[in-house]
Amino acid sequence: MSIAAALDVDTAWETVVDDAPVAVHAAAGLVAVAGADGTCWVLTGSTGELVGTVTLPGGILAAQLSPDAEHLALAGPFGHALWKRATDTTVIAKTGAWSGAVRWAGPDKVAIASGRRAVVLAPDGRELWAIEPAPSTVTDLVWYREGRRLATAAYNGVRCYERHSARPVVEYPYLGSHLALAVAPTGRWICSGNQDASIHIWRTRDGGDLTMSGYPDKIARIAFDDTGYWFASDGAPDITVWDFSGSGPEGTRPRTLRAHETVTALAWRPGGAGILASAGAEGTLALWRATSGSAGARLHPAHARELDQAVTALTWAGSDLLVTADWQGRVQASRLPQALPR
Amino acid sequence: MTTDSTSAELPEERDVVDTRVPVTVLTGFLGSGKTTLLNRILTEQHGLRIAVIENEFGEVGIDDALVVDAEEEIFEMNNGCICCTVRGDLIRILGALMRRRERFDRIVIETTGLADPAPVAQTFFMDDEIASQLRLDAIVTLVDAAHIGAHLDEVKPEGVENESVEQIAFADRIVLNKTDLVDESEIAEVVSRIRAVNALAEILPARQADVELAKVLDVHAFDLDRVLETDPQFLIDTEHQHDTTVTSVGIDVEGEVDEDRLNAWLGTLLRERGVDIFRSKGILALAGNPRQYVFQGVHMLLDGESGREWEAGEERRNRLVFIGRNLDRDELDAGFAACLVNAPALKSRAAVSA
Repeated sequence: MSIAAALDVDTAWETVVDDAPVAVHAAAGLVAVAGADGTCWVLTGSTGELVGTVTLPGGILAAQLSPDAEHLALAGPFGHALWKRATDTTVIAKTGAWSGAVRWAGPDKVAIASGRRAVVLAPDGRELWAIEPAPSTVTDLVWYREGRRLATAAYNGVRCYERHSARPVVEYPYLGSHLALAVAPTGRWICSGNQDASIHIWRTRDGGDLTMSGYPDKIARIAFDDTGYWFASDGAPDITVWDFSGSGPEGTRPRTLRAHETVTALAWRPGGAGILASAGAEGTLALWRATSGSAGARLHPAHARELDQAVTALTWAGSDLLVTADWQGRVQASRLPQALPR
Repeated sequence: MTTDSTSAELPEERDVVDTRVPVTVLTGFLGSGKTTLLNRILTEQHGLRIAVIENEFGEVGIDDALVVDAEEEIFEMNNGCICCTVRGDLIRILGALMRRRERFDRIVIETTGLADPAPVAQTFFMDDEIASQLRLDAIVTLVDAAHIGAHLDEVKPEGVENESVEQIAFADRIVLNKTDLVDESEIAEVVSRIRAVNALAEILPARQADVELAKVLDVHAFDLDRVLETDPQFLIDTEHQHDTTVTSVGIDVEGEVDEDRLNAWLGTLLRERGVDIFRSKGILALAGNPRQYVFQGVHMLLDGESGREWEAGEERRNRLVFIGRNLDRDELDAGFAACLVNAPALKSRAAVSA
């Protein structure tokens, strides 16, 4: 692999947590690092200092801070938990239901997958509403329409709900096991990553759909950038980036990004400048000018770094700080220049 | 795969240690003794870190073990292959276990009494993330010696499978439990009925599931280099054939196989008949290849690779086994015979009609 231009990356801070991180999330000056065994470390984004720890017995699968970082929601194999920063108190719901996804709609409500249902909770844990059971365990959740509509992925399709009804207000059917969900910030597209190694795409306006198949592996990580024009996914050693501007990706070819053997994490830099961070099981951390070149182009990383361990999660804490966590629990925050050098 | 100058040489015999975590699947009807066997595994393997996935509310009470209860979720794959189903619950639970820093020594999956073992096995073929970290060791089916006859006789409505038959057909090991509750002639009868369905699996008689654990753990039944390791007796037709639609067909024939013809035949066979063929295994002598070719399959999914080298003077034989529904022995014999480079005289009359 050709080594990308060396980039002057400052390590802002570094710390170690005593577990294998499964998720990192940042909001309003805090960073949450969730460990597979059930402890989540809440750190300051500026220095990595420990603010507190929150424990969900039985393990954690997903974690997200509220946009104001006043609350943290954790989801795991046996239930979910909500932490309140002001009082450092945690409300734990031992539902016995598999909870693999959590998303805040705003500072005042959060959706959590709970078995075959999704529940929408107030920050104090009070249930606001819930959806009727889906055909399988709910795998992912996304809010759109300014947090008024909740899209859920489960077996045989994506179902969307609003507060007034436990039944879907709109359904996007497609046979198969949907693992990951993304909605374009423009609201125009809903995409799911699938066990059958394909990406399924619906146009929200009329439900028109298409499938991108031919990936070697299942698609478990997908993401739109802030503009909603660019969409990245795993499913192969190569990350693919599709252009969703105009009439969408139908009939186009994706840009392919080659740096990893197995992709373990990917995240667009906030601000919509086409910068993507990705990490692999082999321990490579890569930064991409992911929208450069033309359709079908094979891109090389703008910056790549070999780490000792597999990166298991990464997130952006604002546009200048990239937080990565590796298998051994090492958490590193890297400060990046606004413009990546050419 | 990269190609470099060294790849021209044949790979060394597989001496690489497989570090993947072994997964044992326990199937069998409610009351057949799955939980008893599971508790024995947890007790006697004390000190090992074992994770248990249960699809049925069990009574597993060992502190060392991590127990996850899950509802069975069978997912069709959107690839036009109707029998390529996987177990979504296992994919997410096994995936989450592998993300933990703690390494498990073993994982045991206890299915419901009504479970179809095919989606469980296929999950290990279809999901790369799982296949890279976990190894399906064996499907162990528990059978209640006193009641299995009635279960096998049960007539199901059109289109509904008899789960007992399926669970026996898919098994690598069959624990014939509760032998203390029946007499010897009944045991002989049950063994014969099991053999008629699955001629390949070792049958282990037991009382209160007191089977030697070494016989059901680390079986390596799904490893290609262990295919047909136990010399199958089934190739001789049992004189005691029962009227059953699920049977085993073994083929044992000398000669060398034409690879193109084999691919065409096996491809068509599994594509067209894969729904009915539950398990397949084989060791073949490909023309011009100094190594054995080994394969094994579950329904339409097939995994094959080069095995050990044929020894000097060793008879080049082909041994295949199919376990499935409505198998036509003559058709299979003839189909395979046509793949041979110089079709020799077959033991079976099929060669004549072919």
